[in-house]
Amino acid sequence: MDYTSQNQKDKKQMLESIGVGNIDELFKSIPNHLKAKDLNISGGKTEQELLNYFLNIASKNKKLISFRGAGIYDHFIPSLVGEVVGRSEFWTAYTPYQAEASQGTLQVVFEYQSLICALTGMDTSNASLYDGATAAAEAALLALRVSSKNRILISSGVHPEYIQTVRTYLANSKAKIEIIPLSGNGRLDKKTVDSLIDDNTAVVVIQSPNYFGVVEDMDSLSSAIKSKNSLFVAIVNPLSLGVFKSPREYNADIAVGEGQVLGSSMSAGGATFGFMAVKKSLEWKMPGRIVGQTTDRDGKRGFVLTLQSREQHIRREKATSNICTNASLNALAACVFLSGWGNAGFSNLAETNISKARYAFTKIKSLDGFKAKFENETFFNEFVIETSKNIKKINKVLLKNNILGPLDLSNAGDGFKNCLLFCVTEQRTEAEIDSLVELLAKI
Amino acid sequence: MEKLLNELSSECQPAYGVECDVAINAQVPENLKRSIPLGLPSIAENDLLRHFTNLSRKNYALSTVFYPLGSCTMKYNPLINERIAGNDAFNNVHPYQPIETMQGVLEVMYELEKDLCEVAGMDTFSLQQAAGAHGEFAGLLVIAEYFKSIKQKRRKIIVPDSAHGTNPASAAFAGFEIVPLKSEPDGSVSLDKLKEVLTPEVAAMMLTVPNTLGIFEKSIDEVSKLVHDNGSLLYYDGANLNAVMGIVRPGDMGFDVMHINLHKTFSTPHGGGGPGSGPIGVKSFLEPFLPVPRVEKKKDKYVLNYKKSKSIGKLKAFFGNFPVILKAYAYVKALGGKGLKNVSEQAVLNANYMLAKFKDKVDVPAGDRCMHEFVLSPKTLLKNDIRTIDIAKRLLDYGYYAPTIYFPLIVDEAIMIEPTETESKETLDKFVNVVNKIILEESCQEPQKLKDAPINAPVRRLNEVEAARKPILKWE
Repeated sequence: MDYTSQNQKDKKQMLESIGVGNIDELFKSIPNHLKAKDLNISGGKTEQELLNYFLNIASKNKKLISFRGAGIYDHFIPSLVGEVVGRSEFWTAYTPYQAEASQGTLQVVFEYQSLICALTGMDTSNASLYDGATAAAEAALLALRVSSKNRILISSGVHPEYIQTVRTYLANSKAKIEIIPLSGNGRLDKKTVDSLIDDNTAVVVIQSPNYFGVVEDMDSLSSAIKSKNSLFVAIVNPLSLGVFKSPREYNADIAVGEGQVLGSSMSAGGATFGFMAVKKSLEWKMPGRIVGQTTDRDGKRGFVLTLQSREQHIRREKATSNICTNASLNALAACVFLSGWGNAGFSNLAETNISKARYAFTKIKSLDGFKAKFENETFFNEFVIETSKNIKKINKVLLKNNILGPLDLSNAGDGFKNCLLFCVTEQRTEAEIDSLVELLAKI
Repeated sequence: MEKLLNELSSECQPAYGVECDVAINAQVPENLKRSIPLGLPSIAENDLLRHFTNLSRKNYALSTVFYPLGSCTMKYNPLINERIAGNDAFNNVHPYQPIETMQGVLEVMYELEKDLCEVAGMDTFSLQQAAGAHGEFAGLLVIAEYFKSIKQKRRKIIVPDSAHGTNPASAAFAGFEIVPLKSEPDGSVSLDKLKEVLTPEVAAMMLTVPNTLGIFEKSIDEVSKLVHDNGSLLYYDGANLNAVMGIVRPGDMGFDVMHINLHKTFSTPHGGGGPGSGPIGVKSFLEPFLPVPRVEKKKDKYVLNYKKSKSIGKLKAFFGNFPVILKAYAYVKALGGKGLKNVSEQAVLNANYMLAKFKDKVDVPAGDRCMHEFVLSPKTLLKNDIRTIDIAKRLLDYGYYAPTIYFPLIVDEAIMIEPTETESKETLDKFVNVVNKIILEESCQEPQKLKDAPINAPVRRLNEVEAARKPILKWE
């Protein structure tokens, strides 16, 4: 199968219209010594053969009951999300350059921006970025653009792959990145933050709930940051905002995060999307596409890409970012996901995550050889347990029972030796949690 | 006019709900608790389904119309690829699950990397980047690290003025200074001008081949020699790879680094603006600098290698946009080497056929032959204050998505057409007739029709100036 459309008769006619005898003549401008040999790539499979070929490959992945999070989460995806995202009018469209012919995509993005603003409480959202990590990196870059300072403080409670991504993005800039250590209770201490911020600190990046599941006291941290006129980037789990304080309430300047939890599957960590929402004063400095409402010639409401003079196709090297293709279809999934809960339902979803995680937490920490790492802290759906048991053995036993056990935190730095990061979402049933606890008890 | 979600919201039973089978125990300290309303709509499933279905119908999409968007390679997106990628055995994989339990995922990545190497003539590929521009950025960071490692200070990147906007933006993003290079009228490189800007500070030159006017770079050998003699590297923008698969390979032309847009050449859908995937390929001397982790094969097992001390690091979390990678690999396995070559031949045949039908009627600044796309410049034909934008909007009335317009920047009133290989002769014939009719007949005889266009699209012409002047970026 190669999905081309011409038959031999058409081809012959087309060559005649062009005025050449054969297709090779169309490639005359390519020097002969550069011409490729036959490509050594297997293929030529029919649709049926392809399906079987990939069913076989898929069978090499194991289906597991997940108690693991750390950035990618097993959440329920309503059928409506699949139905809408599966409409070919959405997935086969391009970036909406011709607005009048792209009102479906454009209105969806406008609704998406509105929903992200509602959740975060921020003023302006863009149309999406690649993922949470790149959103964090773009937020740091945005802060550097508006600030004359060059020091960046990042909490060590930020996802390690996000920190690595920020480092990569800033590798050739003048920025100096410093990491703020967590205190013994698994979160940032206001005094530590206070002592590290100086007059040259452009931005402070904090994640809550942090990588270790602990919800930060963003209010008190914010006041420390604001007292030095630094910008505050909050990395948040959007689902947690059904219960926890929104970035606006603690005066964050930029809110970013991973959108996978809003209707995208785990898919080995991508494709997902990153969101970014900012205070009004920063909207012209934002990276990425932004959709705005306007009217057509008859005065009818419509939507267009706007504030485009920030972007690469207009500004080239002076653009706010190089981003072009983003993650529109995943943002559509988020739009469909967020529009069907209502306020109470969405809060209930967040509360269900908290409750199930707390149920598991209470049971696991009371087992012999297991204890809570941060006993009195507030968490969303992840928590750290310290164990005297062999971690490799724990996960081996769980895996045998088709359970993806907690993440081994041994490499997460000082203080996390013998620690496990558990995640329990609304997907896990009481029975599944109980059998996890039973298996742990036997180790 | 379709209502907005907040206008649809009512006191109804919302579409989704969740039952908690353990006791609700979600007490949160006051200082951590949300106190402002969520502001989410409450809408029934039936109404939501109608809302989004109706919205989808306001899109012109590849599945409904011809989409001759130059530089974007809007080819047919095979349905079997969607079916394969819809398998939960791929979708339910957690990125941190043990590698023994995700061998299928790693196999797909490993094998696609290998096949891309063969198509591109490169030694190795990284699939982590989420889009073409992300790939450019990664490739340029690799170049920067390479020069750091050999202790050379090279802070400049040469970018032709015919290049995509992402080229200079990515180079600036990676910390380089941009040296613009004025192209010949057909978009090709002027060797004399190139010599003038090739200074010892030049790290690399970015080049699109065939260029954005659809012309193969005839002096590619000389360009490659000049750049390399200067100690600089050559970067290949793979946006136009659809023209040359199985015909000529970037690696054989002397390119050291390149990116591929899987959502163009390898048929993965564009999703209305992503997710895409921008793998980068490099020659072996640059392999140590690629992002981590690398997928490797040890005996019969696929593994992830994070221990690469010279790596530029991570470009995003985890491994890449896996479903996009999977669909591209399914495409490669459908076509094989022969099929891929046939794709490029048909794409070039289709473009030349259309060009042949235009060339005696409309100016073609780059000449009578092209590769997979071409650029028209109707400037001299347009009277009555008609511009290319009016032609584009009028095309919407005829049920076509418009070609890329006003790009490349070096062509006045540019109309950039890329038919791809998956369109039939009949589709091309009809489209050419309509474009010629609009430019040659309507623009002279009925200019108001063009100025008023579109009249058949879901909305009339939208006021972009108003949108930027008084931005409304969310529900009021």
